[in-house]
Amino acid sequence: MKTLRRGTFSKNLPLFLLAIPGLLYFVVNSYIPMIGIFIAFKDINFAKGIFASDWIGLDNFSFLFQTKDAWIMTRNTILYNVAFIVLGTICSIFIAIFMYELVKKIYSKFLMTGLILPNLISMVVLSLLVFAFLNAENGFINNSLLAPLGIEGINWYAEPKYWPFILVFIHLWKTAGYGSIIYFAAIAGIDKSIYEAAKIDGASKIKQISMITIPLLKPTIIILVLLSVGRIFNSDFGLFYQVPLNAGALYSTTQTIDTYVYRALMQLNDVGMSAAAGLYQSVVGFVLVVTVNAIVRKINADNALF
Amino acid sequence: MKKKFLVLLVATLLISVLSACGSSSSSSSNSNEGTDEQQKVEKVVFSMVSFNRIPDDYSAVTKAINDITIPKIGVEIDLQIFSPADYSQKVNLALQSGEKLDIFTTLGQFANYASKNQLLALEDLLDKHGKDLIAKLEEDFGPGLLDSTTINGHIYGIPVNKGMSLPTNFVYSEVLLNSLGYKKEDITSINDLTPIFADVKERYPDITPFGPINVNPSDTNLLHYLKGQYQIDFLTDTNGIGVVVGDSGKVVNLYETDEFKEAAGVIREWFTAGYLQKDAATTAVPFSEMIGSGRGFSMLGGYSGKEAAKALSAQVGTPMEMQRIAPYYFDTNAVNLVSWLVNSTTDVPEGAVKFLNLLYTDEQVINTILYGIEDVDYVRVGERHIKFPEGKDANTVSYTAMLSTGMVGSESLQYQLEGVDLADLQLKLDENKTTPRSPYLGFVFDQSDVKVQVSSVTNVVNQYLPGFMTGSLDLETALPAFIKALNEAGAEKIIESKQEQLDKWISEQKK
Repeated sequence: MKTLRRGTFSKNLPLFLLAIPGLLYFVVNSYIPMIGIFIAFKDINFAKGIFASDWIGLDNFSFLFQTKDAWIMTRNTILYNVAFIVLGTICSIFIAIFMYELVKKIYSKFLMTGLILPNLISMVVLSLLVFAFLNAENGFINNSLLAPLGIEGINWYAEPKYWPFILVFIHLWKTAGYGSIIYFAAIAGIDKSIYEAAKIDGASKIKQISMITIPLLKPTIIILVLLSVGRIFNSDFGLFYQVPLNAGALYSTTQTIDTYVYRALMQLNDVGMSAAAGLYQSVVGFVLVVTVNAIVRKINADNALF
Repeated sequence: MKKKFLVLLVATLLISVLSACGSSSSSSSNSNEGTDEQQKVEKVVFSMVSFNRIPDDYSAVTKAINDITIPKIGVEIDLQIFSPADYSQKVNLALQSGEKLDIFTTLGQFANYASKNQLLALEDLLDKHGKDLIAKLEEDFGPGLLDSTTINGHIYGIPVNKGMSLPTNFVYSEVLLNSLGYKKEDITSINDLTPIFADVKERYPDITPFGPINVNPSDTNLLHYLKGQYQIDFLTDTNGIGVVVGDSGKVVNLYETDEFKEAAGVIREWFTAGYLQKDAATTAVPFSEMIGSGRGFSMLGGYSGKEAAKALSAQVGTPMEMQRIAPYYFDTNAVNLVSWLVNSTTDVPEGAVKFLNLLYTDEQVINTILYGIEDVDYVRVGERHIKFPEGKDANTVSYTAMLSTGMVGSESLQYQLEGVDLADLQLKLDENKTTPRSPYLGFVFDQSDVKVQVSSVTNVVNQYLPGFMTGSLDLETALPAFIKALNEAGAEKIIESKQEQLDKWISEQKK
C-alpha cells in the first residue's frame, strides 16, 4: 500500500509542481484569511485587540434575524436569484443557439461583441441610465412613452411593485449576452457529424435543437447552475443598491441580505457583525451546493460536479 | 517522498509568510530610527478632511507646519489629507489594521468610536499640555464644551471651536422673492412660507417652490428645524429614536410626538399642493442645482452667522438670501459633531496632545493648515484677512483647504477671505453663549447593549424618513405603519436603555 502511494506520488510529481502556484494562491488568498471566521463570534474591542476580545457566541448573528426584515430580505435574495438563474440560463442558451444557427459567422462575431458590451458597463453608470428612463419628472418612459398614450406618469422610484420586473430585466440585459459565450463554445464543440446524420434522417432545425443541442448542453448547464446556486444567498450589490438609487420607499422589493448588511453596518462600523453576516451567507451557500450536487448525483452520477 | 514534499510546502509557506512580516517590521524599525536621530522629536500622524481639491504633493505645507511645531513642542507632524468621501473609510481601515494614526476627526461618530475603546482618555494629558487649549475653549464657547465629549469622567475628544449654533434658515432665490413683492422681514416662521409658495406656484408654474437640501437620502432639514423650534435633545444619535422634548427628562420616540406630526403635516400640505417635486423623496438631483438652473425657489438649511448666503450664492450660481425661521438648540451631538480624537493605541500620547493644543491656539499652525504657505498660496490683506495671489483662485492655487474652516481648530483665530465681515464672526461667538442649552448636554448614550436594535431601527428610519421629510408619505396611514415597524425593530428597547442611562447620568450630575 505504502509503495503504491509513493509510486503514484512520484509519478504525479510534475503535476503537483504545476499546481503549486495555484495552490499557493488559494492558501494565501482563501485559506489563511479563513482563520478570520472567529471574528464573527467575538465582541471586537480595539483596546484589547482582535485576539483578546471577548467571545460572545452567536450574538453577532442575531441582528440578521431581529426584525421582519429578515424574512423580506431572505425572500428577496432567494427569489431574485432563482429568477436570475432560471431566466438567465434560458436567455443565454437561446442567444447562444440563435447565434450559432441563424447568423452568418461574420455577423455573429459583431453581434457577440455587442451582446457582451452591457456587461462592461459599471453599475453606477447603469443606475444613471436607468434613472434617465425612469425619472418621474423628465424621464424617458414617463414623458415620451406614457404621456403620448395619455397614461399618467408613474413615480417609479416610489412604487415597489414594479421593481421585481425592472431589476430582473436589467440583470438579464446586462448578463445574458456574457453568459451565452460559454454555451456558444459548448455548442461549437458538438460533433458536426451528429447534425449531418440527423439531417439525412430528415430532422428539422427545431428537432435538431431540441433533440441534439440541448441534451448535449446538459452537463454545461448543470455545472453553471450549480455554481450559481452556491451564490444564491449573495446578491449583486450594485444592482440592488445603486440601481434603485438607495430609495427607502423601495426597500420592500429591493432589500437583499447584502444591502441590509451594508446599510446596517455603515452606521455601526462593527467588524464582528459584518463577519457574522458573511459567514452566514457562505455557510448557507455551501450547504445548498452540496445538497443540489447530491440530488444531481442521485439522478445522474456523470453530471454531478463532485 | 511525501514527507519531503510536505516539508517543502511548509517551507515555502513559511518563507512567504515570514517575508510578509519581515517587510512590515523593517519599515517600522526604520521610522523608529528616524525619530531617534532627531532626538526626542515625536512623530504624530494627523489625518484631516479637505473639502477642496487635494493636491498630489503637499509636503511643502507639512514642512511649513513642522518648522513651527518641531522647535515649539518637539513634534513632527505627518499630515494626511483625505476627501470627505474617503475619510471615514480611511480612518476606520487604519484603526482596524493597526496602521499608525494618532489624531483623527469624526463626523458624528464620536459615541461609536468611544464605545469600542478606540479613543484615548485625554484628561490627564490636557492638564499637563493643554492649558491654553482649555482656556481658549472657555473664551470662545463658555464652560461646558468638553462635557459633550466626556464619558464616565474621561475626556475622549475635543470639539472643534467654532460658531456651533446652526439656526434653521429659509434659503431662497432673492430675485424670485423680490419679484413676488415679499420682503425678507415678512418671514418669521415656517407657517409664513405656505402663502409664498402658493404665489410662486401661481406666478411661475415651471418653478418648484421647495425642495430637499440633501438627497440620497432626501433631507429637507425637518428634524433640524424641530430640534431648534421645540428644544428637542436627540440624545447622541440622529435617527430620532429616543429624544427628550424640553427639560421633561422623559425619553420618547420623536415620531410619536405631536411636534413631529405638526411639522410633518405642514410639509405634507406643501407636497399635496404641489410645492415639492413628485419624486422629492427619491430624486438624485440636489435642489440647489434646481435653484441654480432657475427651476427651484427655496430650501431649509442650518447655518451659523448671517453671511452664509454669500458663500451659498457663489456655490449655487444665483443670488441667494436667507432668513432665520427657528433658533438652534445645543444637545451633546450638536456640540461634539466634529471633534478631534486621539487613537487609543497611539505610541505618542503626549506629542498628540501637545499638537492638539497648538491646533486650537496657534494662529500660524491653524492658518498654514487651512491656507498653505504665505505669499505662495495666499497673500495677507490687513490684520485678519487674506486673498489668493494675483491670478489664482481656490482651484488653481497649489494648496488650500479653505472649505475646511469648520474642521480646524479655533474659528476665531482663522484668517478670513477678503470681504468677509468680522462682525459676523463675533456674532457666531456670541451665539455660542446665547443659544439655549439642553439640560442633558454632556450625556453620551452608550449604544453597545442595543447595537442590534440600533442597526435594525436605522434601516426602518432610512426606509420611511425621506418620505416624511418631503411630505410624499401620507401621515394618516404611513405614520402608524412607520411607528409599528420601529417598535418591531426594537425602538422601545433603545428608548428604555436611553432612559435608564439618562436617569443614571442625571443623578450623577446632582452629586
